[in-house]
Amino acid sequence: MKKLLLPILLLVTLVSGCLSSKKVSLPEAEMKLASEWLYAFSLENFNLNDVVIERPPGISQLLFKMKIPTENGLALKTHCVYYQVPYKKIVGKLSVEELKTDSACPESESGDSWFELDQIKKLKVTLENSHLHFDFEKDGKGISWTFLLANLEGNLIHEKYEPMKEKKWKSGLTFLRTDAETFLNQNNKSLGKLSDRMSRGTAIRCQQVDKNCNNVGENRCDDCRYGWYSIVDYNCPQGGSKFCGQNHCGEKGEPACPRGVKVVDEMDAGICQSDLTPVMNADHILICQ
Amino acid sequence: MKEFKRRPLIILSLSICAVLIVALWFFYQNYPKNNLKAEQFVQEKAALERLIKNSSEIHRLWTEGEDSREWNSWKKECLQLKKIESPFDESLLRCNPILMECLAAFTKKSDFHFVKNGDSLYRYVTKSNIAHAHLNGTGYLFTIEDIQSKKKLDLLLADNCQEVFLQNRAYAYGEEVLGKEVEDYRFDNFNQNIYIDRHLVTNAEINDWIDFGNSDFTKGLHKKTGDDLVLPATDLKEEQMMNYCSFRGKQLLLAHYFDAATFLPMDLSDVLPAKNNRSPYYWTKKRSDFKPDCNLIYAQECPAKKPFQLNATSPTWAGLTDAMGGVMEVFRNPIDPESNLKASSFYFNFKSQWHRLGFRAGWDGDGFELRHFDFKGFNPEITIDKFQVGFRCMRESK
Repeated sequence: MKKLLLPILLLVTLVSGCLSSKKVSLPEAEMKLASEWLYAFSLENFNLNDVVIERPPGISQLLFKMKIPTENGLALKTHCVYYQVPYKKIVGKLSVEELKTDSACPESESGDSWFELDQIKKLKVTLENSHLHFDFEKDGKGISWTFLLANLEGNLIHEKYEPMKEKKWKSGLTFLRTDAETFLNQNNKSLGKLSDRMSRGTAIRCQQVDKNCNNVGENRCDDCRYGWYSIVDYNCPQGGSKFCGQNHCGEKGEPACPRGVKVVDEMDAGICQSDLTPVMNADHILICQ
Repeated sequence: MKEFKRRPLIILSLSICAVLIVALWFFYQNYPKNNLKAEQFVQEKAALERLIKNSSEIHRLWTEGEDSREWNSWKKECLQLKKIESPFDESLLRCNPILMECLAAFTKKSDFHFVKNGDSLYRYVTKSNIAHAHLNGTGYLFTIEDIQSKKKLDLLLADNCQEVFLQNRAYAYGEEVLGKEVEDYRFDNFNQNIYIDRHLVTNAEINDWIDFGNSDFTKGLHKKTGDDLVLPATDLKEEQMMNYCSFRGKQLLLAHYFDAATFLPMDLSDVLPAKNNRSPYYWTKKRSDFKPDCNLIYAQECPAKKPFQLNATSPTWAGLTDAMGGVMEVFRNPIDPESNLKASSFYFNFKSQWHRLGFRAGWDGDGFELRHFDFKGFNPEITIDKFQVGFRCMRESK
């Protein structure tokens, strides 16, 4: 009976080896990441740029976080990318956990991976000109992956006589994820109506500046359905608070238009129709009365 | 005895054979599948890379416009396709879907094609008609398909190449008032990023509003074709003009910003001069340097010399075209709402009072007959049934 043990062991090893080959192949892994990350709008918590990650050994750490639109583009989801540094019997592992909303990534992984690639070591991640490079070793072979982050946003560039430019892969080019749902009016959550007016009490404030020139809350002006405009309140360097909608500044009951304070006194910082006077309302906004 | 000794050997050999058979079975079961699967992902990656490369080329064409090699190779056919016969300023082709329509029609041997959205090659998207998260700005949405793999990619091309940034500096509103006692109406834009349309809104752009805007706001408007595509839209009432600009996330140009972008600063390097001296002509600092030149003012005498087109005159210091002459242009004037019209146009000859920056007539915004206009006593000397009034938009940026 003992003599049968060796062949049986051989058989088991071979069968398990064959079964394990059903794991995600490298091309599949690369494609899975490339086709998602192409649409990423942001890359956050990315601190280990261009270094081979070898510490802390045996422990999983958050490499970076990405904000990516969902399949129909209606919302943002989050990819939390982790790497477990190999140490003795602990294998090196790259994993991605997908959060269904735009939220913060936990420092350590929960174990519910959307993507996992193990047996890797000497991982180096480099961000260069909107391209994210992954270099690592797997099964003794050196692997290099490059992912284009075409939508990754940098700063806006304002230059006289020129149109606006964005610091990204191609200024003015964005890849979107759409289906029929993306264009349905009932899914559109943008802010404001065309008829909104300050004088009617319907205008939506999309950015608020306080008396110390701090921005209060997040700037939602990109979500305005019909654009936005500045009003005059605290004469801050970043401008005044902003409202969504059609601008009727200068008209009766509407905010004064910004005039600046470099060539006139602060008390004259608003523009109103010549028969109206700018008056500060309870929210410290200059209104034409 | 010998036979007894051989038995384990036979069992071992049979076991090895069995293992080999099972191993071969797994190999043939899985290898082709795994290999095929891996190959499929390699192909998919290649398809994605082709789509990205083609997007990059489309973006190049989008920004190069009339300077692109493609335009020069199928310009004639493209104009025939769009039924455009009259000459026009080809710089209008930057960020213009006409070029993409011709790319789709005339480019042979391509590994991709555009996917149509109904009758159109694109969809004009703004915050009002798309619910995509994290979208800032407006633009033209195209879908391209890789011919080999049928894989698709949606690309949004921003339509901001025809805007100019207004330099942060001190400006003045209206004509210069001479005299020590009178103060100029001065303002600055140091804490604002203002972008103004380089040219007047075209009929092609209004067609996009009719196709992709809220139909409640476009009632009574009709799509234009042929030469009209590249001419200014001049049959909208003022409220429609404001609504159009809102559709694009902008606003109707304010009169004082038009003045800012047209009065030539005396010293471009001094952004905060003690006084804003200004000439009534956008091409000169001298008050008396008037030139009856159709390339500077497209006045009443000009149609006999060259046909009217958009961007008929040289740009101002800030980059705005058609600042004088051509069709009239309406603004929203938050200081003096009755003076909302640039009357300098082809309705007045070179000798007219109207060919001065900052000097404005009035339009009630509701019709195009003479009774809707206030020319302050300087009426046109010719009879006009229907005046043409154009407009442009502006916006603030973060």
